[in-house]
Amino acid sequence: MADSKMVKELMIDVFEFPHIPYWFSIRQAIGMIKKSLLSGEKCIRPLAVLVFDEKYNLVGTLGLMDILKGLEPSFLKSTTKAQVPAENESGLSVIWNSLFDKESKELAEKPVSEAMVSAKFFVEPDDHITKAAYLMIHNDLILLPVLENKKKLVGVVRMIEIFDELSDAILKA
Amino acid sequence: MLYRMKAVIDRDSHQKLYLQLYEILKGKMESGEWTVDSQIPTEEDLCKTYEVSKATVRLAISELVRNGYLRRQQGKGTFVCKRVIPEGLSMFTSFKELMLDAGVVFTTKVLAQTVTMPTDELTLKLDIPDDRHLIYIKRIRIVDNEPVLLQEIYIPHHLCPSLLEEDLEKDSLLELLEKKYDIKITKVQDYIEIESLTSEEGRSLGLPGGSCALLMEQSFYSGENQIMYMRSVKHPERFRFFIELERKG
Repeated sequence: MADSKMVKELMIDVFEFPHIPYWFSIRQAIGMIKKSLLSGEKCIRPLAVLVFDEKYNLVGTLGLMDILKGLEPSFLKSTTKAQVPAENESGLSVIWNSLFDKESKELAEKPVSEAMVSAKFFVEPDDHITKAAYLMIHNDLILLPVLENKKKLVGVVRMIEIFDELSDAILKA
Repeated sequence: MLYRMKAVIDRDSHQKLYLQLYEILKGKMESGEWTVDSQIPTEEDLCKTYEVSKATVRLAISELVRNGYLRRQQGKGTFVCKRVIPEGLSMFTSFKELMLDAGVVFTTKVLAQTVTMPTDELTLKLDIPDDRHLIYIKRIRIVDNEPVLLQEIYIPHHLCPSLLEEDLEKDSLLELLEKKYDIKITKVQDYIEIESLTSEEGRSLGLPGGSCALLMEQSFYSGENQIMYMRSVKHPERFRFFIELERKG
């Protein structure tokens, strides 16, 4: 793929995604997602909120799965496959159901920084899209921030565009 | 004309539905269609009349209650309050905020200069769509090493995106808006009340959580458009306000 596209050709504007400071609560992030992404005319997928620090540096992303994990009571999080047979795991959700009103609503008041995925991996606008694909595959990511000069956030590249571009190249071959 | 009378909700307008309904209902009271002490229609009736949801009606009524136009009586309904806007005396108003110990020099420390979205009550305070990004500024004013004022400021990002890069510890925010970004402020609405400090606000102002402070909420407009909402929590012993009214003409 010598003539593969650059990240800058596929990236989308960061303002397509809601923004939230890291100290705001999970509950507030949920409100944003409901208002900005789920009830609006446009629906950008993956549904994610970008998390920033006090100086508008990106520090993480918060997707729907991250929010659900953030609401999960701690006793469920500590469970591992070694401790409980797989077929019994979902049974614990009954306890979660009974605790939801109290525990999960309390957990929703925690800051988003405790539920987000930290932004550790980035691409540059002039990187090949295969680099973005590599980082997504090896770090289980669905989107990647695009930084200019390793500092300024200029966009986001999503798995859907990377997949679309790479699959076109495969089908053309 | 002092206010704009709108009889119907304009769904193509950028203005939020509850704010349009707020204006309509306010107009009914200011025009005398709804008289003092009369009971207003039920939520259900208002929903049907204006073809809006209960949530929209509730938000509009809550704002009218907050601004002194309506009062709720538990189990009885919602009633029109005595007129809160003075009539017949058209005055220029001059409002100055004075720090006690005039001439004192303060410094500004910016705690945050980042981006967020309208959350919680902010939806009520800012007349912009929920999916619009906001520049969020949190700063503290310090006099003699003592924090005296905690401010949170929200400005629609699209109005002045470069504001994120400005040095707000040195430059005046209002001057930047007017001179650099050409946003002329034509109207400011202030609400002042006493509030109990949250523990975080108390920490910031060096006061115990739960103690009383002055809360000033300000909505800044440029023409018809709201361009900023500012929430200031002030140390109760360091400020006073001066209002001067001067008859027009």
